[in-house]
Parts: sequence; C-alpha cells; structure tokens
Amino acid sequence: MLLRVENLHVEVGGKLLLKGVDMEIGEGETHVLFGPNGSGKSSLVMALIGHPGYRLIDGRIFFKGVDITEKPIDERIRMGMGVVFQNPPRLYGVKLRELINRVARDRTREDGVLMMLDRLNISEELLERYVNVGFSGGEVKRCEIAQVLAMNPDLLILDEPDSGVDVENLELIGKELAKILEDRSALVITHHGYILRYLKPSKAHVMLQGRIVCDGDPDHILNQIMREGYRWCERCRLMRKS
Amino acid sequence: MQVDEEELRKALNKPATYGRDLDLSQYSTRAVGEPEVVKEVIERSFEVGVDLRKRDSLTTFLQIDHRALYKSIQRRLEGDIELMPIEEAVKRYEWVRELLWRLRSPYEDKYTAFNALHGSGGYFLRILEDRKMHIPIQACFFMFSPGIIQSVHNIIVADPGSEAQILTGCTTHPKISRGLHVGVTEIYVRSGAKLNYTMIHKWNPGFDVRPRTGILVEDDAALLHNYIALGYVGSFQSYPTARLLGENSKIAMNNIVYLQGSSEMDLGGEVIMEGDGGRVELLTNAVAAEDARIISRGRIVCEGEDGRGHISCRGLMLSDSAEISAIPCLVSRKMSSELTHEAAIGRIAEDQLFYLMARGISREEAESLIVRGFLDLSPMKLPDHLEKGVRKIIDMALEGF
Ligand SMILES: Nc1ncnc2c1ncn2[C@@H]1O[C@H](COP(=O)(O)OP(=O)(O)OP(=O)(O)O)[C@@H](O)[C@H]1O
Ligand SMILES: [Mg+2]
Repeated sequence: MLLRVENLHVEVGGKLLLKGVDMEIGEGETHVLFGPNGSGKSSLVMALIGHPGYRLIDGRIFFKGVDITEKPIDERIRMGMGVVFQNPPRLYGVKLRELINRVARDRTREDGVLMMLDRLNISEELLERYVNVGFSGGEVKRCEIAQVLAMNPDLLILDEPDSGVDVENLELIGKELAKILEDRSALVITHHGYILRYLKPSKAHVMLQGRIVCDGDPDHILNQIMREGYRWCERCRLMRKS
Repeated sequence: MQVDEEELRKALNKPATYGRDLDLSQYSTRAVGEPEVVKEVIERSFEVGVDLRKRDSLTTFLQIDHRALYKSIQRRLEGDIELMPIEEAVKRYEWVRELLWRLRSPYEDKYTAFNALHGSGGYFLRILEDRKMHIPIQACFFMFSPGIIQSVHNIIVADPGSEAQILTGCTTHPKISRGLHVGVTEIYVRSGAKLNYTMIHKWNPGFDVRPRTGILVEDDAALLHNYIALGYVGSFQSYPTARLLGENSKIAMNNIVYLQGSSEMDLGGEVIMEGDGGRVELLTNAVAAEDARIISRGRIVCEGEDGRGHISCRGLMLSDSAEISAIPCLVSRKMSSELTHEAAIGRIAEDQLFYLMARGISREEAESLIVRGFLDLSPMKLPDHLEKGVRKIIDMALEGF
C-alpha cells in the first residue's frame, strides 16, 4: 500500500474538519475524491502533506509503509509526495523559472523540464514572471502541474487540477498527467470530472462533512452525482447507516 | 551660491532633524598614507557594484578618502559627457559654482556645514544635450583610513533630452571599524532628460553615514533614484529632497535595505510637486535582522494640478529584537491631486513558506528565497548586467542567513 490513512481527525482553528477519514491507495492506482464545497477535501490534502495549521487530533498516516503522522512537511515531500494546490499563494519577487529550476534540481533533467514546460504551453514570458502574481486561473493550474511534474513524485495529490482550465489546455494537462501516472499513484479531487477523460481512476471516494461516506466505481459515482447531486450520497449514507 | 562662513561655523553645532547625533570631533580629518587601488579596494568596490578591473574601459570615477584617484571616460563617450573632480569643474566653469548648494542648504545641519567648510572631493558629471548613454557611468567612494571623515560634494547635470545610467558605490576597507561618510549630491535633471541613478552602500558595523541629496526635475524629465544598502552600518540617516519643478516631471525613489547586527538606519525622502502633472513613487522594501532598527519616512507634497503620488513601505521582520517603523506623509494643496500610501510590516508569510516547503525546499532555503524575493530589484530598472551583479551582491550579503 502506498498511502494508508486511518481514522484521521483534523482540526483547524478549533473547528473539527475531518472526522475520521480512512483511505488506501495502492501502488500505481489513481483514486478520485468527490465532495461538495466545504466538505473537507482540501483539508485532507493539507493534512496529508503536514500543514502545521491542520492539527491532527486522532488517526495515523502511512506512506510507503512508514508512519509519517509526526513527520514534517519537507520530509514527506522528500519521501515522494507532490501536490497541486487549489489556491496557491503569490510569491512576489520569486520568478517562476527560478522556482521550477530549484524544484527540479536533483530530480528531473534540465532538458526534460524544458520539454515538459513546452508541452504544457508555459511561455518564456510566464517563466520570467513572479509565481502566481497576476496569473490567470488557467496559468496558475498549468504552473502548479509543471512544478509537480518537475518534482517527479511517487504520489501526486491533485486538488482540482481542471477547474478554470479551457478545453485545449485541459487536453495538454490531461495528457501530461496521464503519461506520468502510467507508473505512479494519484489522488485527484475534481468537481466535474473533466480531467477523468484523460486519467483512468480505479476507485472513487465521496466526502461529506469531513467523512468518506462512499467508495466505489468512479464512472458510476460521477454519473450519479451529476444526475442527482450530493443528495444521492446523503441517501446512500442513510441507507448504509440503517 | 555664495556661502556665509560665519553662519556655517554656527551650523557646525546643529544636529540633524533625524538620526542619532554625532560628535564630529570624534573623527579624524587626516588620511593616512598614499591611497592605491589595492586588492581590497577592488574586491570591496565590486560589492557595491563598481567594477574597477574594468576601469579603463568603463567610465569611472574613484575617490579614496579625500583624493580623487582615478577618472576615465570611455572612449566612445568622449564628447558626450564631462566627468571630473568637483574642484576642477568649479575652476573650469563659473556656472558650476552656482549649482553648488542650490538644492540643499549648507546651513541645514552640522554635516552639510562641515561639508561646505572642510569637504574634499566628489565628482562633477554632466551628460550633454540629447546624448543617450546605455552603459552605466560608475563612481566609487572608498574609505581607507581609520576614523576618517570623508566629505564629498557631487554635482550631476543631465542636460535637456539626455539619458544616462549612473552607479555610485560607497564603501570602506573591510578592516576599518570607524568612520563617517558625508556625501552631498545635487542632481539636476533638465527638460526631457531621463536619469537612472543608483547608489549602493556597504559599510562596517561602526560606520556612520549621512548622505545629503537634493534633486531638481524639470519639464517632462524623469529621475529614477535607487538606493541599496546591505549588511551592517553604525548609523545611517538620509532624507533626499526633490522638487518636481516642471510639467509632467517624474520621480521614483526605490530603497532596498537589508540590515543586520545593531545597524541603525533612518531613511526617507521628500518630493514636492510644484509643476502640473507630476508623478511620484516612493518605494521602500526593508528587511531587519538581528538587532537592526530601520525607520522609513516618505513625504509627498502636491502643489501643482493633477499630481499623482504613491508611497509604499514594506518591512520584513526577521527577529524579535529588530525594529521597523514606517512613517508615510501626504500633503495635498490641489483638489485634482491623487495621493496614496500603503505600509505593511510583518514576518515571512507562513503560507508562502509552507508552499515552498511543499515543493521539497527546506525551511532555511525557503526563507532565503522569500527574503531575496522581498528585495525585488525590478522597480529599479537596472541594466541586465548590473541587475545580475546586484543580485549576486544580495546573495553574498544573505549568505548564512
Ligand atoms: N483555516 C481555516 N479556518 C477556518 N475554517 C477553515 C479553515 N480552512 C478550512 N476551513 C473550513 O473548513 C471547511 C472545509 O474546507 P475545505 O477547503 O477542506 O473544503 P473543500 O472540500 O476543499 O471545498 P471546495 O470544494 O470548495 O474546495 C470549510 O467550511 C472551510 O471554510
Ligand atoms: Mg478545496
């Protein structure tokens, strides 16, 4: 098992956001996580990589068989996690080129990075700009993905890589991710599932109010959510409880 | 301008409005030995952006202690500019004398008074009408003798329609622990001229520095005034004053400061828009480490129509025993003016730190990336090679941070 999350309880600012999350992702598997706004998906991402503001109340996280619950963020990243953030911060004064080079160091060859940037349609002009400062929504996503690809991780955690991305750029992103995911694992968060046209997840999870309430076939679950919204999951949860 | 010696002597006891008061009798006026361009001079000058190894091919002025030691004009620029020690210029041109103490009063405080009475050296630089220069002209003031006062007077005249880049580096021998640098600089930017003036300082912990800068900008002329200080200083106080005299005169003052140890800096700037359509931007990014104390002042006065002015002061605190104060001030005397300011002081933003660490960058390296980013050079619009050089200097100063 590449990632195992057990009974995860996480609190932010005194508020319990994750209330007992369990999840397992095996080697080479891609999983998708659905859930309404505010259900706790991004909080799970933050807890997985060890954001100090997300306080672990209970539960454990294992990565590559190692208990990483107490490990600091940089160590988890070094072990092979990589994240595309939903809302990355702006970095004034730090050029995108500088950051990508720094991130790729020791992990990806320079010519490989250059070709990847080219395939993702990241221009020289963008590389000279400060990270996320004045970037369009789609540019932010492509740059997030470029950084994660440059990191070359074993587990990619993608928090809405497809939101705000136009059709053509979705194809660029989708193909790049599909290629790297041939021999990696991923946890993908998506609302409308556009990116799933390119990635073939083996399993889906649904999160409601800080709990995983459903695991199952990605196509089936997405279809149901698209048709009936999350009411369907609510009902499903009630059924399971009884 | 004629100066009144009696008044000057009285002013010798007058403390400056801002900054720690210094006892001038504690410094020596005598230079020891014959200055030479030795290895330390070359290396240290390089840290303030002046490349003395290229002094024969670049337009260069070098003063060590009281002596103007070296002066060269790039062959291609002969006939485009004039560069000489100030004493020589005053002898050669009657009108240069008239430009002295026009933009700054010699009776302002003990430092200007001392300069007017006992100052020695400085350069006169004139860029002739409509000449456009793209390679920087470099000047270096170097302090070599322990405990000395270096007190220089510079005059810069950018004639109508001219364009130039000027780099002035001020520094001291690395082994000297005390001294006072007083630099009076008067900058005349004539109609339609564009000047980019950059000053880089690197001092030692016990050094005191009191620059006095006066600026005049005429119609459609623009001055970019950049100041960079890195590392240590005893006490530093400066408050350049600028008059935007003409129509559509423009000035931007950018300060980038990184101070450590128990350095004290009181850095300011005042611009008065007298003409119509003036544009002013005062920008300070200051980083205070260890026990450093930084005060950043900015004042914009708008007297002409349609003036626009903005003050931005950002402070980054790297230690609990450091201190940063931001004191912006806006004065408007016209309904058509628009003046704004923003000031923000804080520590390294946690979300940025976390983001970089989530890219596999260690905390230390992430902090250093953010601090480097904070010392952003882009508003200074330096020529590429100079920007690269300054970046290297910043990296050197931040080493071990
Ligand atoms: N630092 C915080 N302080 C207070 N509340 C927070 C904080 N971070 C998250 N929350 C709250 O926790 C809940 C879950 O947020 P989270 O970002 O995990 O949701 P999400 O499932 O990713 O939603 P979306 O689909 O909108 O991205 C939200 O109600 C959010 O407002
Ligand atoms: Mg989210």
